[in-house]
Amino acid sequence: MDWQQLSKEQQTVAKVLRHAIDRKELAHAYLLEGPAGTGKHETAMLVTQTLFCEQPTDLGPCLTCRNCRRIASGNHPDVIWVAPEEGAASIKKEQIAYLMKEFAYRGVESGRKVFIIEQAEKMTAQAENSLLKFIEEPHSGTLALLITEQIHQLLDTIISRCQVLAFVPLSDHAISRRMDEQGLPKPLLKPAVALTHDYEEAVRLCKEEWFAEARSQVLQLLKGLCESLEAAQLYIYEKFAPNFDDNQKMTVGLDLMLYWYRDLLSLHLNRREEIVYEDQMDRLKEQMLSFSSNQAVQAMSLILDARKQLDAHVNGVSVMERLVIRLGGTR
Amino acid sequence: MQELQDSNPNAALAMKCTVQKDKLADAVNRVMKAISSKTTIPILTGVKITSGRDGITLTGSNSDISIQTFIPLEEDGNENAVVHTPGQIVLPSRLFSELVRKLQDEDVHIEVDSRFIAKITSGATEFSLNGLDPEEYPNLPIINGSDAFRIRKDLLKDMIKQTVYAVSVTETRPVLTGVKWMINDGKLSCVATDSHRLAQRSVSVENGEDSGTHTLVIPGSSLNELSKILDDDDEQLVDIIMTTNQILFKSNNVQFYSRLLDGNYPDTSRLIPTESKTTIDLGTKDLYRAIERASLLAKEERNNVVKLRAEGNQVEISSQSLELGRVFETLVPEHFEGDPLRISFSAKFMMDALGKLDAQSVRIHFVGPMRPIIIRPIGDENILMLILPIRTF
Repeated sequence: MDWQQLSKEQQTVAKVLRHAIDRKELAHAYLLEGPAGTGKHETAMLVTQTLFCEQPTDLGPCLTCRNCRRIASGNHPDVIWVAPEEGAASIKKEQIAYLMKEFAYRGVESGRKVFIIEQAEKMTAQAENSLLKFIEEPHSGTLALLITEQIHQLLDTIISRCQVLAFVPLSDHAISRRMDEQGLPKPLLKPAVALTHDYEEAVRLCKEEWFAEARSQVLQLLKGLCESLEAAQLYIYEKFAPNFDDNQKMTVGLDLMLYWYRDLLSLHLNRREEIVYEDQMDRLKEQMLSFSSNQAVQAMSLILDARKQLDAHVNGVSVMERLVIRLGGTR
Repeated sequence: MQELQDSNPNAALAMKCTVQKDKLADAVNRVMKAISSKTTIPILTGVKITSGRDGITLTGSNSDISIQTFIPLEEDGNENAVVHTPGQIVLPSRLFSELVRKLQDEDVHIEVDSRFIAKITSGATEFSLNGLDPEEYPNLPIINGSDAFRIRKDLLKDMIKQTVYAVSVTETRPVLTGVKWMINDGKLSCVATDSHRLAQRSVSVENGEDSGTHTLVIPGSSLNELSKILDDDDEQLVDIIMTTNQILFKSNNVQFYSRLLDGNYPDTSRLIPTESKTTIDLGTKDLYRAIERASLLAKEERNNVVKLRAEGNQVEISSQSLELGRVFETLVPEHFEGDPLRISFSAKFMMDALGKLDAQSVRIHFVGPMRPIIIRPIGDENILMLILPIRTF
């Protein structure tokens, strides 16, 4: 991650930190707060490397100098990372003792020390109170970065002594870009993100076999709908219904259908970047010729109606059946 | 000399040297004292070996203290080591120190390639160890010779012994876990206090050309470690060099670095009373033993308090335990001056202080039952121990 990418994903956070670093006006403690997958860890790394880098550029740290490499490998003696051990319910007492000791000592190599506490909400109240003393009276040249997903579990007294940097949930584009970097299957990425709007949830969904199946069945159903109503209806009973066997799954199915018509509409409006089923572009274009934007809107409202029925505990198969018949009418 | 046979042609030779096993084992042993297996910085589990033009340096560190030992190529006409290719490597310390000790042959050859794989051969034994990138190892401070002074080794050990016992062991005021060193005008003064007692000692030192005032706070635990690694040739001088973040003690071929404590050390001079209402001279050992005996009962109680009554040219030490009984002992002071007095204090604190003094007799100054007690050895004005009394009524 460099500053440019950070300012794309977290504009406010990037702005605040960049200015503070440039003007050498960093506060003594920041609380990096926000949902998972929003780049808090990476931001802490970026800030630390920028501060210690031997040849920083405007874009960010060089990542090749000794300091940058040692920070990345956890070997820099003036950068103290504390994170709860895997599976541990809280940050251990020894870890806090180590942190306190490091607060009291001067740096090993430089006059600057950076403390990073990950999952800060996992400190015990005692630990938080002893930490308080140090962030109340910081020594010069120390910077504390607290990272948390659950700011409300921290003591108010801690929060009030830190500058809070709120990480906003990522945009769908940013999430899918990041998932793409992870090498997750492309056709599943966008529908998963559109459904969840959350990095971790979307990743989970992408790895589920059922989801891949659901997507291809929805596409199959829509294809059948283009051809003949009877074929589509048969498809519902034979394949679709057994797979979408509860209302929650049916909701996902409806949403996946909704995206198809939304894609058609996006295509009419020439907003290609919004398209969810990117890999189905040929079919979308083909259907666009015979399907006006008004029809797309109409189809979408039918699907939304169906969702409402589903929420009202109408039987899933019946809802789908009715929807398919009505959609057949919009053809 | 052995040749590089089976190594990867892409992996260039990064270091090659031959060392006498005993010298190496001795050096590794010393640096191991600084290495902790519980470190959070992965690279510090290793020992760093640097071969240079004039010898081989070993470094061990736990980030608080770092110990460096130097094996010169030649010493007293004996050849200790040969450096074929200068270079450096970090090797897993526990394994390395054990294997060096267990090697059979007198010489140890170390060859390192650019993938950080070290081949250690001795006699018919060959170890291949995966090393770590030496670039990842922390820098030790660059030594600037101007802020330096020298002190005799036995004097340094005494100074540490006489001050470090008084440092605070609780973390509530971290700066008090260290000993304050102040260098001014060729005089070094050390102060330690845990806010219930205080120890202070000053000595004159051989100063470098720099005559400015330096104040630094050295962690008590580092000083304890330092006294452990200083060997017994007391006549030797130790070079002490101060940098912004660390202090270096240099003796023979061993260098000891300690990090410093951050923060302002409280001004202790105001704590020490200047007047004295009662002054008593006593034999150090006599007083120590009397308090030790009184403490037999006192330590059964929660606070280990003994009472001292000075009256009519007599000093009475007493203590009692409600369950066990009481003890009285009378001492005849060598000299008594001033008002009669009753005072209570911690037996442990008094014994700690007296036990650190080598003088035959001590002079104790009292100002009042609620004011600090000052203990000075007779014949040395540079040492001062202070104990706060305990209120018992």
